[in-house]
Order: sequence, then structure tokens, then C-alpha cells
Amino acid sequence: MAEISFPLPDLGEGLIEATVLEWLVAPGDQVERNQPLVEVETTKSAVELPSPQAGKVVRIHGGPGDKINVGEPLIVFEVPDNTAGIVGTVPKEEAPKRRVRLSAVLDED
Amino acid sequence: MSNSILEGEALVESPAATTVMSMQQALNRALDEVLAENPKTLIFGEDCGRLGGVFRITDGLQARHGERRVFDTPLAESGILGMSVGLAMAGFHPIPEVQFDGFAYPAINQIVCQIARMNYRSRGTLPMPITLRVPSFGGIRAPEHHGESLESLFAHVPGLKVVSPSNPHEAYHLLKYAATRPDPVIFMEPKSRYWQKGEVDVARHDAAGGSPTGAKVMREGRHLTLVAWGAMVARCLQVAELAAEDGIDIEVLDLRWLKPIDAAALAASVRKTRRAVVVHEAPLTSGLGAEVAQLITQSCFDTLRGPVERVTGFDVPYPSGDLEDEYIPNIDRILFGIQRVLEYKRG
Repeated sequence: MAEISFPLPDLGEGLIEATVLEWLVAPGDQVERNQPLVEVETTKSAVELPSPQAGKVVRIHGGPGDKINVGEPLIVFEVPDNTAGIVGTVPKEEAPKRRVRLSAVLDED
Repeated sequence: MSNSILEGEALVESPAATTVMSMQQALNRALDEVLAENPKTLIFGEDCGRLGGVFRITDGLQARHGERRVFDTPLAESGILGMSVGLAMAGFHPIPEVQFDGFAYPAINQIVCQIARMNYRSRGTLPMPITLRVPSFGGIRAPEHHGESLESLFAHVPGLKVVSPSNPHEAYHLLKYAATRPDPVIFMEPKSRYWQKGEVDVARHDAAGGSPTGAKVMREGRHLTLVAWGAMVARCLQVAELAAEDGIDIEVLDLRWLKPIDAAALAASVRKTRRAVVVHEAPLTSGLGAEVAQLITQSCFDTLRGPVERVTGFDVPYPSGDLEDEYIPNIDRILFGIQRVLEYKRG
């Protein structure tokens, strides 16, 4: 297993820090890509940060009211070594589904 | 063509020692072994060195074999393949990577005008033992240039060999085989199958002693042959299981080598089943399915119960991830193709 750290991103307009309002995930949670992770407040607004990737949450940094600087660790994910892709997403293995049925009278000559 | 590391081993009886691994791990292991076995081997490409590749295929190889043998290149595919030409002329065995199928276009001149014909041009004095790894085909919801199927483009170029593995076992053995070839091989890795695990018998490619250069029957059947390669093989195997519920017994032929194509294997399979459907992700027009259909028609015209059908991508640029499932042949489209052949009536 590999750990991937996600730092607080630059939320725009020259902001250098944000305050944690509420964590929406906890260590041990399995999260999907784009799932809301945390609500943070800057001097401009309160925003929900979506997860940049799928994985299991290992650690979160800062509790409600704590300030985090842009670039400092926000959350750490654990991903299997061989599923850590950088481009695209790993296809889900699903049971095959069908709508078409075959019909034929086969001559077995 | 006698320096295959596999041809000798196929004859050795060894206890079944299979290991379950993903295609990523199988390819990584094959490259690790090729580096260890052949000191002339060099591996390079964008992010291949320190990062270990965007799909982890070259993970750990630089640490084990050093920065002089496994290294990063600038973002310039023409340079990656141009450098491969010079290195091959100097006696090296390059295994360059083009990070994604759609990134091969800037290097077409180096591939078509240099790599493919240097041996011919030099009357055999400058062979090009280059294995070009190309993560290929679609299925991972990636952006443009990350889901294309270039096999018919490469297969059309005299001097190139083209191969695509369909599972981890094939990936391990075909890559090791390709790396020992004196000719350039385009090695198309089905990126949507990188993560699926399968059993790999590193000691033997084919317990039955089959040639590593031919096609391979992945499932035997009596009524119809599905011909596929790369990621479509797994899908065709699923379709075959579903067709069996309807009493239709499907044979699945993994073509493996797309240049040269194993015409004898196509003939043997379709002479038995008398019906064939070719499945590929690439667009229909001038796709490799047309070549396969012709080879089958040539050898099986008298026994065919209907025209060879093609189930393929569409004649459009490869779509964005949201539309991918509509573009790549899905189970129902393949079943429709089978049904069209089954219900064909001579006029």
C-alpha cells in the first residue's frame, strides 16, 4: 500500500490559508473521487473541497477552527500500490449485463 | 530469429509455478528481467525513470538498474524515437515508451521512415531491435489522445511487427519475447486491463508448446469464432459465456500478433465454426477487422455460413470519457453482431 498526501490547494485570489469548519470524512473511510472531503472557510467564502482521488483516508490534519496554510498537508490517502494511476480511472470489474438474447436454428451438418 | 528465450523453455517440464499478478506487475517483472539478462537493454520515456511511469510499469527499475539504463526523457516523442534509432545503430536494445497511444503521432516520422526501414535500407547491417511500448486503447475515462487504437496504422507499415497482450500471462511472455527480437516491435498494452489480476506461469508461455508468434484460442467453441485482441479478448470471453446460456457455443481467438497476422490459426478456427465476428475498439473503416475478414474469406469461403461481421468503434475521433461506453464495443453490440451472422440466409 502507498500513502498519498493531499495538501491544501490554492483556493484562489491570493489566499494563503483556510480555517477548517467541518470534516465530512474520517480516518478509515473509503472515499470516491470528487466526494466532498471537508468544508473550509477563507476570508472570502466557505467552500467544500472535493477529493482529488479515490482511496482510504489514513489521516486528516486540523480540527474545526484550526488554520491550515496553502501547501500544508490536509489529508492523507492510502491506495494499493498497483492501482495508483495518474491519468484516468481504474475500470470497475462488473458482472456482465445483457439485453440481447441470441436465437438460431443451427444445422449441425 | 533463433535467440528466443522461450523456444527452449517450452520443452522443459517444470512443476506448475503460477503467480497471481496484475498486468502492471507482469510487465514490470518482464522489464526487470530483460534489463538483468541483456546489458544492452535501455528503458526510457516520459516519467519512466524516477517516477516509474504513469502506470507504474517501470516502477523501481531505475533504482535497481541505475540512471544510465532507465531514464526520463523530455516531452518530445520524436526525440524519444529518434534517439532509439541512434542507440539501436550503436548496438543497444532500446525499449522506449510513448506514454499514451495518441502521443505516438509526433514520432510517426521516426517510426515509419527510420525504425521500420533502417534494416532494409542498410541491407541488414543496421537492424533495429527496438520494442516500443505504447499504452493503448480506451476504457479508463481519460482525456483526448489517451484512448486511441493505432494497430492498423502500425500494421500497414512494412518492417514493423505489432503485438498486443490480453492478460498478465501473455503480457509477461510477449514482452520478454518482443525484447529479444532483432526487428522493431510495437507493443500495444491494453491500459484498461493493467489492473486486473491473472495467473502467470513465468516458466512456460504455452504448456502445449505453441509458438509465441501465433494467435491463441482462449476458449474453444463449435458455432462461431470471435476474433479479438487486447482488452476486447476479455469482453469476448464474457460474451461467450452469455451466448452459452442461449445454446450458442463460441470460440474466442486472441489474435495477439496484429502484424504479421496468424492466418493459419484464423483458417483453422473458422473452418471448424463456419462463422466469424471480429471485434475491435478502433474505428470501422480500414480497421484491422477488414484485414481479418479478408483472410477468413480467403481461406474459408466455401465453408462460411455468412459474411464475416465486424463490431468496432465508430468513424469518429475517440470520444471523451463520458461517451466511452457508447463507443467501445459492448456486450450487446457484440451479441447483435453474432445474431446477424447466425440468422444470415443465403439469397
